[in-house]
Amino acid sequence: MLRKLLKHEFRATGRIMLPMYLILLVTAVGSNLAGRGMLDGRYHILNILGVLIVTAFGIAICGALLMSFVLMIQRFYKNLLQDEGYLMFTLPASVHQHIWSKLIVSSVWFIATVLAIIAASLVVAYQGGFLRELLDLLRYFLEGLRKLEVSEAFNGTIYLAEFAVLMFLSLVAFSLQFYAALAAGHSQANHKLLWSVVWFFGIQFALQFAGSLLIIGSNELDVFNRLFSHWDPSPTVAIHVALLMAIGCVIVYGAIFYAITTFFLKKHLNLE
Amino acid sequence: MQWQFSNDAPIYTQLIQQVKVGIVTGAFPPGERLPSVRDLATEAGVNPNTMQRALAELERDGLVYSQRTAGRFVTEDNTMINTAKRSLAQRHVKTFLEAMLQLGFQKDEIISLIKQELGEEEADHASA
Amino acid sequence: MPVLECKGLTKRFGRATALDEVSLSIEPGRIVGLLGPNGSGKTTLIKLANGLLTPDGGYIAVCGTAPGRESHSLVSYLPERTAIPTWMTARQLLDFYGDFYQDFRREAAEEMLDHLGIQPRQAVKQMSKGTREKVQLIMVMSRAAKLYLLDEPIGGVDPATRDYILSTIIGNYNPDAAVVISTHLIADVEKVLDEVIFISQGRVALQSTVDDIREEKGMSVDALFREVFKC
Repeated sequence: MLRKLLKHEFRATGRIMLPMYLILLVTAVGSNLAGRGMLDGRYHILNILGVLIVTAFGIAICGALLMSFVLMIQRFYKNLLQDEGYLMFTLPASVHQHIWSKLIVSSVWFIATVLAIIAASLVVAYQGGFLRELLDLLRYFLEGLRKLEVSEAFNGTIYLAEFAVLMFLSLVAFSLQFYAALAAGHSQANHKLLWSVVWFFGIQFALQFAGSLLIIGSNELDVFNRLFSHWDPSPTVAIHVALLMAIGCVIVYGAIFYAITTFFLKKHLNLE
Repeated sequence: MQWQFSNDAPIYTQLIQQVKVGIVTGAFPPGERLPSVRDLATEAGVNPNTMQRALAELERDGLVYSQRTAGRFVTEDNTMINTAKRSLAQRHVKTFLEAMLQLGFQKDEIISLIKQELGEEEADHASA
Repeated sequence: MPVLECKGLTKRFGRATALDEVSLSIEPGRIVGLLGPNGSGKTTLIKLANGLLTPDGGYIAVCGTAPGRESHSLVSYLPERTAIPTWMTARQLLDFYGDFYQDFRREAAEEMLDHLGIQPRQAVKQMSKGTREKVQLIMVMSRAAKLYLLDEPIGGVDPATRDYILSTIIGNYNPDAAVVISTHLIADVEKVLDEVIFISQGRVALQSTVDDIREEKGMSVDALFREVFKC
């Protein structure tokens, strides 16, 4: 069932994101061409046109980023909490499947947008010999890697992986915070959106408050010193520990948001 | 077929009457296959179960018979159809008489009124 | 086994009691009218049967199970508002229903859409309000479900559309299933119903067959309704 939900979720969002990427590509190609002589000031009109195209590229980048954000919220809000919710919540699918389908699809679009922007930027920068330069750069990079010690290479890869996981989980938790606020706000009879905003900042405040309490508390009780007094990690290990702790925090946040979302969608669904 | 319903009688009894009228007037000719319950119900805009009940009643009276696989058919027995026709006519006459008596007409007055009306109709036919 | 059963079903919204100890049972093979004035609790009952609300007390079962994933595959639900995504085309809508419901009869739906002159590439957005309601009903009635819950299917449409909707319901109804039609427009649905349930201020005021009412009281359900709910 999740597979079918994902299919239709991609259908619903792709019709907006794919044209976005097309615009990105077109303006990127345009900017590339504009860079080849349009902007050197010989012809006034060409000059203006060039500036316009490059501006359009900038707007397309912002637009794609903004759209993947708006879509993340809008799909959850419109498809589950507005009129379409009557259809969605009477499908033979569970609340968990609904949340995961929204979460996975919006994450995929976030990542795809970042990749699309990188690709578009490469298109803008492309010139004769650009590919060769890029390959050269890659070769230098690989050579540099070869000179690394095994442990350095190993740790570097793990850092990258940890960082990527952290980024991904933060993205998921970020989306879940919006879902939780919307789901909670829409369990109210009136002023649903207003309540959602209140919930968003309420959650934010509560978590920060709990976080600071935890830090203050552990300072008071000297937890860190007691825990780590006999442990003197190398900087390499310390970075791993920090990254893993950050990942742990994000997972806890995400789990709380997820629990709030499912609780309200299951027990206190109140469609208008 | 025109299907019309009043508000005071059960729908299935009205359906029985109207299918009878259909048979008597030849809208459902003798020996012909009746449309399916679902089609008849859709046409009349009534519940299929109610239509089913009405047809079952007609079947019990013998105006309609069913063959296991082929569906329901109108009887080929003309005397039965004529009897039904007569009983429908008697019902109309009865309600007519009730109304006339209520208006205060005497039997002979009613008869002469009918004759007059029929005579005019004949005159209409003659002039036409 | 009844396809819909409630016992002592209670639902409150804040201080207001929308349903108060409702007990009823609906058997398969019946077209049942859920009748009551606006705000009497009809929609609340239907939403509870669809798991869109959770009861505060009592018990509700659809085909023997509590409303949820399992019951959703047995119930075909027509909400009181247009819930189909308006960006979808007719064909995408058919895909959607076909993917999620195993009992969806795509050919039947295609035939009915074709009959209305709706092109597969036409988007719901481009259709009139009446056509959207018809399309939504076609999707709902094209499922071979065990229970159809139709919330105000004929509210706010013109008389011709009303006739179309009722004949679509009759034409697609199957004898193993039950159809529940909630409405306050009784004169229009009366002929289509086997049974009626009157709901008044969150309570069941009457459950009877249409022919019994007409036979015993000598009046139409509509007339009886006006008498029961006289202001």
